[in-house]
Amino acid sequence: MEKFLLRNTEHPNSADLDAYIKAGGYKALAKSFADKPSDVIDEIKKAGLRGRGGAGFPTGIKWSFAAADPKKPRYVVCNADEGEPGTFKDKPILEKNPHLLIEGMCISGYALEAEYGYIYLRGEYPHAKVILDGAIQQAYDKGFLGDDILGKGVRFHLVVHQGAGAYICGEETALIESLEGKRGQPRKRPPFPVNEGFLGKPTVVNNVETIANIPYIVQIGADKYSQIGNPDCPGPKLFSVSGHVKKPGVYELPMGTSLREIIYDHCGGITGDKALKAVIPGGITTPVLPADSIDCPMDFVNMPKHGSMLGSGAVMVFDETVDLVKVCRRAIRFLEHESCGKCTPCREGVGWLRSILDRVAGGSGRNGDIDLLLEVSKNIMGKTFCPLGDGAAGVVQSFVKHFRSEFEVHVNNAVSVAS
Amino acid sequence: MITVTINGKQIKIEKAVTVLDAARIAGIKIPTLCHHDLLESFGGCRLCLVEVEKLPRLQTACTMYITDGMVVQTETERVVEARKAMLEFLLINHALDCPYCDKAGECDLQDLVMKYGPSSGRFAEGKRKHPESYDDPIIVRNMERCISCTRCVRMCDKVQGASAISMVNRTSKTFVEPFSGGRYNCEYCGNCLTVCPVGAIMSRLHKHTYRPWYIEKNVDTICSFCGVGCTVTAQVRGNSIIRVIPEIGKGVNKGLLCNRGRFGYDYINSGGRLTSPLIRKNGVLEAATWSEAIAYVAGRLQDVKDKSGGSAIAGIASARCTNEDNYVFQKFMRAAIGSNSIDSAAAFAFAPAQKYFESIFGQGVTANPISGIAKADGVFVIGGDPTSVNPVLGLQIRAAAQKKVPVITVGYTPGLRNFSTHSILPAPFAETSLLAAIVSELSRIKSPDVIKSAFGEIIRSIQPVSSEDAQNACGIPADEIRGCADALAGMTNPAIIIGRDIILRSDGHTNLLLLAALMQLINGRIYLASEQPNERGIIDMGCVPDSLPGGRPIAVDSFRKRYEEFIGSPIPSSQGLGLMEIIAAAHSGQVKALYVMGENIAFNVPDHSYVKEALEALDFLVLQDSFMTETARMADVVLPTLSWAEKEGSFTNLEGRMQHLQKVVDGQGIDDWSALAEISTLLGVEMHYKGVKDVMAEIARVSPLHKGITYEDMEGGQCMWPYKGEPLRHDLVLPGIDMPDVKSMLRKPGKDMVYIGVDKPLFHSGSLSRNSQALSSISSKPFARIGGGLAGRLSLADGDYVTISTSAGSLDMPVMLFADMPENLVLVPNNFEGAGVYKILAWKMNENIKTPAFDSIEASLKKIERITAEGSA
Repeated sequence: MEKFLLRNTEHPNSADLDAYIKAGGYKALAKSFADKPSDVIDEIKKAGLRGRGGAGFPTGIKWSFAAADPKKPRYVVCNADEGEPGTFKDKPILEKNPHLLIEGMCISGYALEAEYGYIYLRGEYPHAKVILDGAIQQAYDKGFLGDDILGKGVRFHLVVHQGAGAYICGEETALIESLEGKRGQPRKRPPFPVNEGFLGKPTVVNNVETIANIPYIVQIGADKYSQIGNPDCPGPKLFSVSGHVKKPGVYELPMGTSLREIIYDHCGGITGDKALKAVIPGGITTPVLPADSIDCPMDFVNMPKHGSMLGSGAVMVFDETVDLVKVCRRAIRFLEHESCGKCTPCREGVGWLRSILDRVAGGSGRNGDIDLLLEVSKNIMGKTFCPLGDGAAGVVQSFVKHFRSEFEVHVNNAVSVAS
Repeated sequence: MITVTINGKQIKIEKAVTVLDAARIAGIKIPTLCHHDLLESFGGCRLCLVEVEKLPRLQTACTMYITDGMVVQTETERVVEARKAMLEFLLINHALDCPYCDKAGECDLQDLVMKYGPSSGRFAEGKRKHPESYDDPIIVRNMERCISCTRCVRMCDKVQGASAISMVNRTSKTFVEPFSGGRYNCEYCGNCLTVCPVGAIMSRLHKHTYRPWYIEKNVDTICSFCGVGCTVTAQVRGNSIIRVIPEIGKGVNKGLLCNRGRFGYDYINSGGRLTSPLIRKNGVLEAATWSEAIAYVAGRLQDVKDKSGGSAIAGIASARCTNEDNYVFQKFMRAAIGSNSIDSAAAFAFAPAQKYFESIFGQGVTANPISGIAKADGVFVIGGDPTSVNPVLGLQIRAAAQKKVPVITVGYTPGLRNFSTHSILPAPFAETSLLAAIVSELSRIKSPDVIKSAFGEIIRSIQPVSSEDAQNACGIPADEIRGCADALAGMTNPAIIIGRDIILRSDGHTNLLLLAALMQLINGRIYLASEQPNERGIIDMGCVPDSLPGGRPIAVDSFRKRYEEFIGSPIPSSQGLGLMEIIAAAHSGQVKALYVMGENIAFNVPDHSYVKEALEALDFLVLQDSFMTETARMADVVLPTLSWAEKEGSFTNLEGRMQHLQKVVDGQGIDDWSALAEISTLLGVEMHYKGVKDVMAEIARVSPLHKGITYEDMEGGQCMWPYKGEPLRHDLVLPGIDMPDVKSMLRKPGKDMVYIGVDKPLFHSGSLSRNSQALSSISSKPFARIGGGLAGRLSLADGDYVTISTSAGSLDMPVMLFADMPENLVLVPNNFEGAGVYKILAWKMNENIKTPAFDSIEASLKKIERITAEGSA
């Protein structure tokens, strides 16, 4: 497949404006200005693009909600708070192809008649900050940003805002709170950000990869775009593959490529040709899959049918030597640490899960601990303010479901040692 | 109409409310923790999860709004299980120290766990540790009990507007901390205590001194500090007040309080309370019996009256006393003494301002409900910081600001710093030019129809002042003045809040005229800030030199005759002296005896040495008070009287709301009115009230404004002006309006001069609050406020001691720097013993409205070098 999102990124100067233009960059911007803003939104809708942040909400529909709200000004915010363990798919765009993001933001701003855009950048991406700032300056200098873009009288300004390290700020309402200078915690919905977002004004928050798809759609047209990958959720998808594969990295593949293809065809199989034990397919909050479930197509529609989610497309591969109880504990430690503390079940429940897992993985598990894990997960699931707590509960449930015997070994050994 | 079905019960509701409110209407209780009626919904505790048909997830009832046809279940197995799970989660890191925790017995979490929770938890690991914080003198924080409901933070942020505390950290390590660290740097309103559902934030004042079930009675009464008249509940055990708390939704304050009202009540238990009558014998105050003291006072007053006539005796009443006390006081002065020289400290701003506005617009024009401020579409504040004078009224301004309406503040108002849209800081004492320019601009903007009334003629005849000329005088750029006028012109129901600082001037009457014009031009409602609880009441009761009870002018024969007939004795027909005139007359020897009830005139009237001379010149000074004040030390007789919480009566607050003050505990001493009645009887005008109800019954008979009023009428809290009676109807009688000339309105402060002004601190109230240990622990020492420029010129840093001198004297105290203070101004409070700013404010009276004039008093500051711990230089 021809690469678009990662086009040009192997070149040493790929972040440079000239290289980007040489490779055909900013043509989509000019093309979009020829249409009415509402036509651009219609085109995105028609293309069937779904948000790449993890939830998979149709982007065009989100845009049309914001466009229908009469409140002004509107804002476009790019969610570049890529913080989920295993996820590093946005990094190559941010660091190697920043003008693609800038072009996408500019088109989004035009389509939504927004004059200000923000890139909420993960605090731990300081290198990307330098590159983005440089690229934005170049874009201003060449008239791709500013008060009179391409001499068409279009106004769009873009600012990079660095986060301070909280995972929860990748959740769009917590991101907006943080952008406003407040404590990063999710807001209640409704009102949705498309109606009352940044500073109470209609705001569209889209993932880096989502925004990076916009110029592609404008360039090749919705019809052609919707033929890429699964027609129900079309387009190219970035997969960040890590763990026990021979060639880890970021891969741009059509939506719906199966896990097996990703692991064995593109990443060269398991390191040392060992046996595969498990895969976390979409970032740490997506349920783990056992080795026999890897024939599922990686897309928003099919993954839930196979008991997991596409999430951010962060594939983590574990070979036969891995202690999955410890993997589970590691995931929950992360989620406990990142629980914002707003709602009871996540704040207290995830910590409780972690302490049980510490006990079990640390060799002092007790009879009944596995059932207690399931009980506590059940009490968290579906009751939290935002999806973080649900994610933690889902992780524990999926690990116990597929690998209960490993937990039992830990508990039984501990119990036998203790007696 | 929206129809919802909750637990099978169908109800119809007019507008979309939350499921929680809908359930409440249906009489179904859904348990909550993070929800609070005074706060926006939050959805954090997850205790109110309910099942909503067609939605797969459980929903929080506090955040979900009803829609037509919605079907809700609140007690299904799934809901009950979820609730249990949330409570189990909450107890994971909640210290289970209920047997030791003061909150036990009134703890929301404890109650909910008892009702809905699991009987035992399964969490077997250690709880988080967080040492209890005793860094603050008033508030104890125990974060092991905190359940992160954030009610305190939301209260502090959104309602109080102090933004002093925050949630810190994430996960179960989340806790609440003031931004200032251990000790709070806040307004000490204590509203966070009200909303804390558990024992995480508690008052230190009564820590471990009670259990909620020991409280024997709850008495609803009215706070004694300022003119807002907040409703408080005093909780009593035996004969002592355990604590004072508000009740959510009740009273003017609707459950909010300020530091003084919540913590300051302990002054009644102060060691400084007087217990026995005192008579000066051979220059020394000695204890005497009540009958001895009463007879002595009557005898001495009779002597003065016989020798010099009743008019040689003057009386000063107090707006800290009840309507009943003040009614009897004026009757005593008029009938038994034969003098109309009756006044109070209300004469320092509230009374003359009310009189001025009423003379133009009619009686009751300043009687406006405080709740109207938050509903106004604009607020104009001048003459002081309402958030420190009347803190709960100040919250209404902040509430208006939260709704993004324009809030214009003129002058130094630090409590509204984060809330005003137009923060205008004119040069000291040069506000007149600004007001004149605003009035001129508004007269131009508004159509002539607005000012068609008789007063409109007067507005038209005020000489116009250009914004440029005003800029030259007050230093505010002309564009800013015009912007302010534009903002005012755009308002349709604005609130105008007037503090005393703009009135206590030699041109105070000009300011009142301009404010009256402003009010007319923008159709505003006037609120007069009021430092004492009964300033309006004292005027209603006739403790003024020119009016009888019910606001009837003494000069009108028919009113006076009617009152004489009723009380059965004659009263003088000529107007008496006002407070400032009384002191001056004492100084000159015209007034020979002074009867003071509950006012510390030796401290609270400007120019202490002048006042001291005046009091020393008297033949006889008698004082009724609860404390050994500066005035008491100079008196010939001191009669100890009951304090707040020890007596029944009524207060009339600044909005004209009569409220019933309850007796809470027994005190030593007698009612003010009762002492007066006994002396009056000895002087030949018999007064035999069996109780305070008799006094109120008499008021109800003689005051046309209070016709037929009883305490029952006040119970609902809705006894608003004109109460049950009739206000005085009259045509416009302009109070001899002096038309100011342009030159006087454009008066500007002298170059490089430093002026002194009165600071009104949030944590104190007159000279009363110094008797409160709690308030003294928050703020124990006076300091002078200065701005950065002045500090720089004089090389002063925070805490440096200075000698502040004026023509009338000097004071030593530390300075504190405040960035937004006007240049060339030093503000000093008048609360602390031996360090009141009134000591050094030279005697000067505005002859027009008979108030002190505090403007343009020059001061010099001199740094005291190397002060040692002992305080010697």
